[in-house]
Amino acid sequence: MRVFFTGVHIMLPALLAPMILGSEVLLKNHCGDCHHENNADDLFDLSELTSENNDNQLQVIGHSLDRVVANEMPPRKHAILSNQEKRNLIRFLESLAHKAEKKLGEHSPAPMRRLNNREFKNSIRDALGIEDVGTHKPTANLLGDPLHEGFDTHGETLGFSHYHLEQYISATREILNATLLDGSRPESTVYEISPDQILSEHTSQNTKRPERRGLENHFDFLDPQQLAYCESFKTVPKTGWYTITIRCKAKDLGRYDSDSTGIYDGDPVVLKVLMGDRTASYPLRDEQESTIEVTQWLAEGTRLRMKYDTDGLRMRGNGNFKFQNAITGEYLEKHDPNLYQQVLDQRTPIRNGELRAPTAWHNWVDYWMGPRPQILGVRIEGPFYPTWPPKRQTDLIGVQDGEKTAESVLTSIATRAWRRAPRPGELQPIIDLVQAKQHLGHTESMKEGILAILVSPNFLLLHQPELGDEDRFISKLSYLIHSSSPNDDLRAMQSQGQLDTYDGLLQLLNQQLRQSPKVSFNHVFPSAWLQLHEINFMAPDPDFFRYYHRKKLSEDMVAEVQSFLWYLIENHLPITEFLSADYSFINADLAKIYEVENTPEDSVLRKYHFTDGHRGGLLGMGAILTMTSDSLGTSPIHRAVYVLENLLGRSPSPPPRDVVIEEPDVRLTETIREAIEAHRSDPNCSACHRNIDPYGYAFENFDPVGTWREKYTALTPNSNASKSVQSTSFPIDASSEFLDGNRYQDISDFRKLMCSEINQRFFVRCFITKLITYANGQSPKHYMQIEKLVDKSAESNYRILDTIAAVLDSPLFRENQKP
Amino acid sequence: MKLVPTRAATMKFNRRTTMKGFGGTLSLPLLESSLHADSQAAIKPPQRLLIVGNPFGAHPDHFFPKTYGKDYASPTTLRGLAWLKDRMTILSHTDHNMVSGHGREISFLSGVLPSEAEAFPEKNISLDQVCARHVGSAVRYPSVAAALGSGIRMSWTANGVERYPVTDPQQLYDQLFLNLTADQKRARTELLHKNKSILDTVQNQMKLLRQKTSVVDRQRLDQFSSSVRELETSLADRETWLQKKKPDFDISEHYSQSEVTITNKYDAIFDMIGYAFQTDLTRVATVEFPSELNYTSIDGVNRSYHGCTHNGRKEDLVSELVAIESFQIQRLSNCLKKLDSIREPNSSGSLLDHTTVLFGSGMGYGGTHSNRDLPILVAGGGFKHRGHVDTSDRSGRHMPLCNLFVTLMQRFGIERDRFNTSTGTFDLPSV
Repeated sequence: MRVFFTGVHIMLPALLAPMILGSEVLLKNHCGDCHHENNADDLFDLSELTSENNDNQLQVIGHSLDRVVANEMPPRKHAILSNQEKRNLIRFLESLAHKAEKKLGEHSPAPMRRLNNREFKNSIRDALGIEDVGTHKPTANLLGDPLHEGFDTHGETLGFSHYHLEQYISATREILNATLLDGSRPESTVYEISPDQILSEHTSQNTKRPERRGLENHFDFLDPQQLAYCESFKTVPKTGWYTITIRCKAKDLGRYDSDSTGIYDGDPVVLKVLMGDRTASYPLRDEQESTIEVTQWLAEGTRLRMKYDTDGLRMRGNGNFKFQNAITGEYLEKHDPNLYQQVLDQRTPIRNGELRAPTAWHNWVDYWMGPRPQILGVRIEGPFYPTWPPKRQTDLIGVQDGEKTAESVLTSIATRAWRRAPRPGELQPIIDLVQAKQHLGHTESMKEGILAILVSPNFLLLHQPELGDEDRFISKLSYLIHSSSPNDDLRAMQSQGQLDTYDGLLQLLNQQLRQSPKVSFNHVFPSAWLQLHEINFMAPDPDFFRYYHRKKLSEDMVAEVQSFLWYLIENHLPITEFLSADYSFINADLAKIYEVENTPEDSVLRKYHFTDGHRGGLLGMGAILTMTSDSLGTSPIHRAVYVLENLLGRSPSPPPRDVVIEEPDVRLTETIREAIEAHRSDPNCSACHRNIDPYGYAFENFDPVGTWREKYTALTPNSNASKSVQSTSFPIDASSEFLDGNRYQDISDFRKLMCSEINQRFFVRCFITKLITYANGQSPKHYMQIEKLVDKSAESNYRILDTIAAVLDSPLFRENQKP
Repeated sequence: MKLVPTRAATMKFNRRTTMKGFGGTLSLPLLESSLHADSQAAIKPPQRLLIVGNPFGAHPDHFFPKTYGKDYASPTTLRGLAWLKDRMTILSHTDHNMVSGHGREISFLSGVLPSEAEAFPEKNISLDQVCARHVGSAVRYPSVAAALGSGIRMSWTANGVERYPVTDPQQLYDQLFLNLTADQKRARTELLHKNKSILDTVQNQMKLLRQKTSVVDRQRLDQFSSSVRELETSLADRETWLQKKKPDFDISEHYSQSEVTITNKYDAIFDMIGYAFQTDLTRVATVEFPSELNYTSIDGVNRSYHGCTHNGRKEDLVSELVAIESFQIQRLSNCLKKLDSIREPNSSGSLLDHTTVLFGSGMGYGGTHSNRDLPILVAGGGFKHRGHVDTSDRSGRHMPLCNLFVTLMQRFGIERDRFNTSTGTFDLPSV
């Protein structure tokens, strides 16, 4: 790189000549001393700003602009720019950016990419008009989607191989087999299943140990890990409609202390019915029999199972259910001393001739009275078909020798699947295939045809150049909001011209995003943007942070972030609430981690205003604080990099390749700050870390699961074991100073600085950049256009839907579509 | 216990045919892949992977040598592998950072529990399946999994789907060496042909695509069409496998005694896998030693496997446990000896030099229910082995076991530098 740019430097004055002369001088005077090509201590040289041969030119200019805007450059100790000088310098850099951007073109079209698995499933569902891809787990063998900065829509990362293609073919075949039925109409049967025909499945591969069977009058769920199944209906015998009726009730909610069980008295006992990977959850009434009736299209081979859906009953021992039995002993000792004594009297000596201690879980196994669903009886009827072949089938492919021709059937499926109408003649190879397979019969030959449509590049690859401008735009929009192909509603809005304007798009978002938090965008986008999938990548240590694991806190933490975003969408609030809010959404589990008292005893996330100045918005959320920690300790650098990359959109450059990063020897340092300061004494490190680390120190009062702490408790793991740990305490210093001279004492101060106008703009820009990355499958390069979008967002006070609408209305999303 | 399978006709009983190595036939066994037209596989020696796992780890004092480096005294459990001392590495202080207790050992080959698999793009895929996917249709079976009675849940696919091992030697024999019936062949051929027609149609479709594409789009379209072509080849491969007779094999020597014990059965399992390696039927195999199996036919073992792990440090019980663990090592050792006695065609080494062997467990030691300090051993594979290695870092933190897995994958020819919870690699250079 460096060698390459020598020489360009000499040309610099010539290039700058038409620019604002004063700024050029400013740039040279204030920046040239350090940023020149001969300065080995500095990796950036000014000539990169103007070098036309540099692919990253725009990025370099953007980076420089950010630093000048944020008052980080030029360094205060060297020079202080007057406001006028600063404005001039910014204007000059912006003019460079404009010029570079012009060269890039107004937009870079979203490149073609394969569907990710989520989109694949949704798109097939919508192409075939079925409820989902089927209950027999047809897509179980698809390869996982690799992520790029959290995004599963990133074209370059997704990749495609013959292995993918083969799995697509076999998955689609499975889906079609459970959608289109051939042959004669199967007989319907009624299965009356009594509680003693319900069994609790073992969780190991050992098939010899007997499974627990229900009693004559009731089957009770004990271990939430164990699923229950019906002996005479393990799997669905034939694809078709089934009605499942379950008589059931909840038992003993609130009998045991909820601290022991981890189950809140305010949460209903929930029975979950699993039909393959389709599930339905039913809150049960305590001690009152109720009847669940559910009618579903189930695929042959689907396993039908039920479970007790709870994150509780893992608090004792290592979390395995058997240890929970000890709770019964404690309960009986207090509430039924006679029975307690009776059970203890009945103990038989174990191998060494001694009796087990009264507290041992073994004694109490037969007396469990913890909260649980209880099943009184199950009735299953099916498969039944109001018509044969089933209506959903004839709707799709017609009947043998019927009115619908193969061509018309295939055309309407292809139009949905390919996100455009097939061109004349384009379906011919597929029609030929159906013809060639006529000997297999109508259904089977149509299946082959549909399969060919669904493994075609027209289906599996998004953003095809084949698509006309309108099809392309509506497809992009639909995948952004729904992760699926455009439906009739969207198409209608488009043909009425409603989507041609900013106001129209805003109205669309109002309708569609505010419909429900379940809309794909509302949960997929925040998870990707904030990389929430990483939360358990380096999970807090299971021995030191038991509660986190026992109560599956990561799920609550992710839900907290999603609830926050949903709240902003639902209430038309500014995106910057993420930084400035003093509230968030917590339930009893999170309240424990956040040390909030007097919240309702249940798992419902509710808005809560924090008064301590420590929390509220993203900066105090457990998800962010956990994800950026190591398993045993916190890392200000990880947290700083996270804030810079995902909240402020200012990616610090990674350490140069030739730097050897020594594993810090933390045994000799008292605090993590000392360890970090040690590396900052190295000038190679400090050049960047002066700028990075201040974004992380503020969080030091939060431990690896986000609980407030005043002191470090140094954990000294020794070779054997997790359990013998010596701890020593050191006070925490969460203060630091930014390059612009702003100092903070603690997180409260820091939060105020993060709400500065400059940082709010950075945050909104980051949101916009991530949104475009999600939508286009590649990171946008157009610095100035994004700046324009931030301006537009600012006009609406950064309100979230208005900001998204502005992005969708910009050339970066519309590409060349705008009429 | 049913001894010799009824289909004596397929399992030849002539003991005279048994010869050195895994040879069931008198002539040199034909490589499956060498039958395949212009196969490159026969020229470049393939990489193989054999993983042996148990659910309870190992009694640490008898598994880990007392000293680090190459000059250690072979601990009791590993005595069966003493002959291989210079060609294996024992890793101390590596694990998946799991809380103690049963049920976490299923993360042995992934580092990820099924309940936490959502955090990982490939869910809790196990090491063997990553390698099996890499092998693809180059051989008849991308991977083979075997155990006696039941499995220990150590093999998982890219989407977190559990793979069950074959738990009966007879079934394993049938799967590996028994030819399909005419009906089975017809059904499978039909499906292959249907899929072939689909691919033809897709190719015809692609011809109709407009050409006005950007460079990136062009690349992705090329990627798509080369996938179609590769899959066609792969389907053709599979049809060849389908039509081709499988290698002959004889495991009767293990069934010739009056009483067939788990020793014979495991030896038979290992022999079949060894022969499957030798004939290139497969390149990835896993063998599991389940907890439910009755190990009392081993000398000195009177109790259940699980019972022995809870020994209260009583010497007699510990020795029973160590006997079970040594038994597992000994079965593996016998197999490795045979692998080492066969020359790898087109190379200077033995089959063992081209087979990476991993022994271990997702549990550290059943007696304490600890899932830290997993007993891990790597042998063969053409590595420059390092003896007994302390893998913890200067601050005493254990190495994520996934680091080793990355190294093993790289050795297998897979280009990747991360796997689930890995933070780097384990330094184990190849020879």
